Amino acid sequence: MAAASDRLRVALACAVVSAVFAAPTPAWGQHVWPELRITAPAAPGGGWDQTARALQQALQAEGLVRTVAVENVTGAAGTIGLARFMGAERGRGDALMVSGLIMLGGVVMHASPITLADVTPVARLTGEYEVIVVPAASPFRTLADLVAALRSRPESISWGGGSAGGSDQMLAGLVAEAVGVSPRRVNYIAFSGGGESLAAIVGGQVSAGVNGLAELEAQIQAGTVRALAISSATRLPGLDVPTLREQGVPVEFENWRSVVAPPGLSPAQRQQLEQLVAAVVRSPSWARLLERYRWIDRYQPGSDFERFVASEEKRARGVLAQFGVGQAPASGSGTAPAAYPWVVFVALLVSAGGSWLTSRRPPGARPHPAASGPSLRPLAWIGSGLAVNVLAVEWLGIVLSSAFLFWTAARAFDRTRPWRDAACAAVIAWAAFELFDRALGLPLPGGLLSGVL
Amino acid sequence: MTGVADTLRALAAGFGNALTVPHLAWALVGTVVGTAIGVLPGIGPALTLAVLLPVTFNVEPTSAFIMFGGIYYGAMYGGSTTSILLNTPGETGSIATAIDGHAMARQGRAAAALATAAIGSFVAGTLATLGLTFLAPPLASAALRFGPAEYFALAAVAFAASLSLLGESLWRGALSLCLGLALGLVGIDQLSGEARFSFGIPQLLDGIDVVILVMGLFAVGEALHQARRYARQPLEPVVLRTGASLTREEWSRSWRPWLRGTAIGFPLGVLPSGGTSIPTFLSYAVERRLSRDPGQFGHGAIEGVAGPEAANNAAAAGVLVPLLTLGLPSSATAAVLLAAFQQYGIQPGPLLFQTRPDLVWALIASLYIGNVMLLVLNLPLVGVWARVMRVPPPLLFAGVLVLASIGAYALNRSVVDVAILYLAGVVSMAMRAAEVPLVPAVLGLILGPMAELQWRRAMAISQGDASVFVSRPLSAVLLAAAVLIVAVSLVAGRRDSSAPPAEAGT
Repeated sequence: MAAASDRLRVALACAVVSAVFAAPTPAWGQHVWPELRITAPAAPGGGWDQTARALQQALQAEGLVRTVAVENVTGAAGTIGLARFMGAERGRGDALMVSGLIMLGGVVMHASPITLADVTPVARLTGEYEVIVVPAASPFRTLADLVAALRSRPESISWGGGSAGGSDQMLAGLVAEAVGVSPRRVNYIAFSGGGESLAAIVGGQVSAGVNGLAELEAQIQAGTVRALAISSATRLPGLDVPTLREQGVPVEFENWRSVVAPPGLSPAQRQQLEQLVAAVVRSPSWARLLERYRWIDRYQPGSDFERFVASEEKRARGVLAQFGVGQAPASGSGTAPAAYPWVVFVALLVSAGGSWLTSRRPPGARPHPAASGPSLRPLAWIGSGLAVNVLAVEWLGIVLSSAFLFWTAARAFDRTRPWRDAACAAVIAWAAFELFDRALGLPLPGGLLSGVL
Repeated sequence: MTGVADTLRALAAGFGNALTVPHLAWALVGTVVGTAIGVLPGIGPALTLAVLLPVTFNVEPTSAFIMFGGIYYGAMYGGSTTSILLNTPGETGSIATAIDGHAMARQGRAAAALATAAIGSFVAGTLATLGLTFLAPPLASAALRFGPAEYFALAAVAFAASLSLLGESLWRGALSLCLGLALGLVGIDQLSGEARFSFGIPQLLDGIDVVILVMGLFAVGEALHQARRYARQPLEPVVLRTGASLTREEWSRSWRPWLRGTAIGFPLGVLPSGGTSIPTFLSYAVERRLSRDPGQFGHGAIEGVAGPEAANNAAAAGVLVPLLTLGLPSSATAAVLLAAFQQYGIQPGPLLFQTRPDLVWALIASLYIGNVMLLVLNLPLVGVWARVMRVPPPLLFAGVLVLASIGAYALNRSVVDVAILYLAGVVSMAMRAAEVPLVPAVLGLILGPMAELQWRRAMAISQGDASVFVSRPLSAVLLAAAVLIVAVSLVAGRRDSSAPPAEAGT
């Protein structure tokens, strides 16, 4: 830990120095970046997180960047991370975010006001093929068996895969469409995370499963699932799985991942980031990682990538609209999402009414503690600390706003020792910042003090 | 697969591998770092591992996994320390611990709460690791028989068992529960992908984080509540109880909850969607039911710490069963471990025990070692930690507010989470004033979304045929158990109506 924090300190010192003598380094002779932040807009362990951490590993191993920090911002198919990245990193030339096809889907699904067009495209990096599998005990031996059943009774085939609107559902719908079944009738069961959907597929809870090759490969080799088709154009070496196309389903599909930079960059900043990514994807470290994760090299920089994103976004919009994603599913009345919230609200009202009525009855043996009556001064002190913290933490920085919160809260309970409270406040706030930001590499806002600390 | 003798031989080889000086050093580093980071609010084991993953780029795999095992168990343990001392649980598994653990700390019995948590973690961790050693393959294949219908039935069992936690007034308990259920509606509906009640705030799309809600209800709410009535009732400093950390009576009240917590936590941890919140709350409810003095629960019952802590650690070990035998990462932490395996070019899957037995058995052996290390490290620290409670109350409350705020922010780097934290604190203050218990709201937020999601998944798979819940034997048995629990508690409730009512608040 100590070594890591020293290294960070050195890196920060370098960052300060290079900020003072800010002169864009010429394209020749790769200069070593002191620091880079990569946002992974998903939880640790997922595909985007792995991409971010693989980039981190390769950039550091190749000596291109001294310290790479990965920040996870989870939620809503990456759109929460996208919104944060756009706001918090605007104009910063030392930040990247991992993105990809699933984020395009998320933007469409959740009607996100911010799209991939709002950030600076850098490059597409990888692609990953998807595999259609059935549980080992399934009656379906080939894709033709599955397709026949899908044609005769579409809803009877339940497809297990990742989050709604993601690449797994897209492929299920594309396959259905290609064999003449409306994607709207695909009975897709969304699971969270790789583990949950794999468990449902391996355990035979669903009729078929769609997932990335990396997730399924170990299961295919062990024979716990039977792979019916892969979404690549031709068969992959070392993997005895036929393609969709050779089985008469004209669909090719891959889940691509990319990196983007914040909006508002100068042309020089943008060029530097593009050069950095270009250097890392050519490195032997990156090649080893691609092989390890079974990612396909799909490096495509600059304006080509920009055009690719635009066309993919159009495709994702079209595909998802056709699926009727976001509309009530066709099967099963009990699955309608509208019913349950009403039940909860009615229960909430009934129980609130019941509580109100019963509490108006003469109180029992217990004396009512509220008889002591509220006092507003301490509450006002704490309240002001909380308000400042929530409204201004990103502007003041975590140290100042935490110290203020500490001081007001301590003062609320004991007005006699403001100086002791202030000293404790400063120490606690500074120590917390050091711990999170420096020792753990989890950046907190520096705010007004960011130049000093 | 293999006989017990083979397992023992493999385990012995694993111990031979793990009991070398460098590997022991890695285990020590892992437990210390894991405990230290686990103590920080908002940082659970998954983030701890993800942060430390780059450290291992240059370390050979066996050492790295031995360290990860230590971090994993250490972070679980560190989480209970803050729950007990500061009422700020860092992850869902230690929420139940906070209820009575913090009450004990306020009574000066922090050392006893921490000690029963430490020993309970050791007992549960060791027993569960034994389970992992000898029962992993059959347990994993049994867990795969759990589908959406069974998970729904499991949620029903948990609901039924927690009815006793609603508190003295059924109406107010139900109000709190419904509040939790309503909060659980916020965010993207996982099946349709539709956003519900997110009011155009992107940070709400992912729903309300249970940990943030609990920190707000428990810790921030407590500070506001005390401030509100401060003028009439000044704060009394905590007087630490002296003497042994665990008295003879506390030992005898703890050991059965440890074992029961393990028995509940381990199998539920093996389930791919089991999580840690359901086993810990089930254990809490079971201990309360079996207690001769249920009224003490919520006011510092040691069983309410011993049981859930054991369940939490046993469930954490259970998560490793599907990961190592099937390659299924069933928690965020397991997903990071899986990514770590891939870093080394190892694909965990059904064949891992055959392809890399050296690695797997060294990891399992180091889990035993890490458990012993944690106990040895933490028992002497119990007295030191307990002294935190002697900090003057104004500074303690201020510190808790700051730590909870930073934790909420660090979780997702979002001010919206901090706002939710404070709102929950204000709501909690109002609930305390109106004598509405807090725990049912937490239960509602945890169980509601799970029950709804699994119900709809089961109905979608069966194409709208509700009979699936009774035609599947496992699901039918669980639902019958839920009905039985409700019936028994109604009968028992009528019989015990003369007994003093219990309050399940904190």
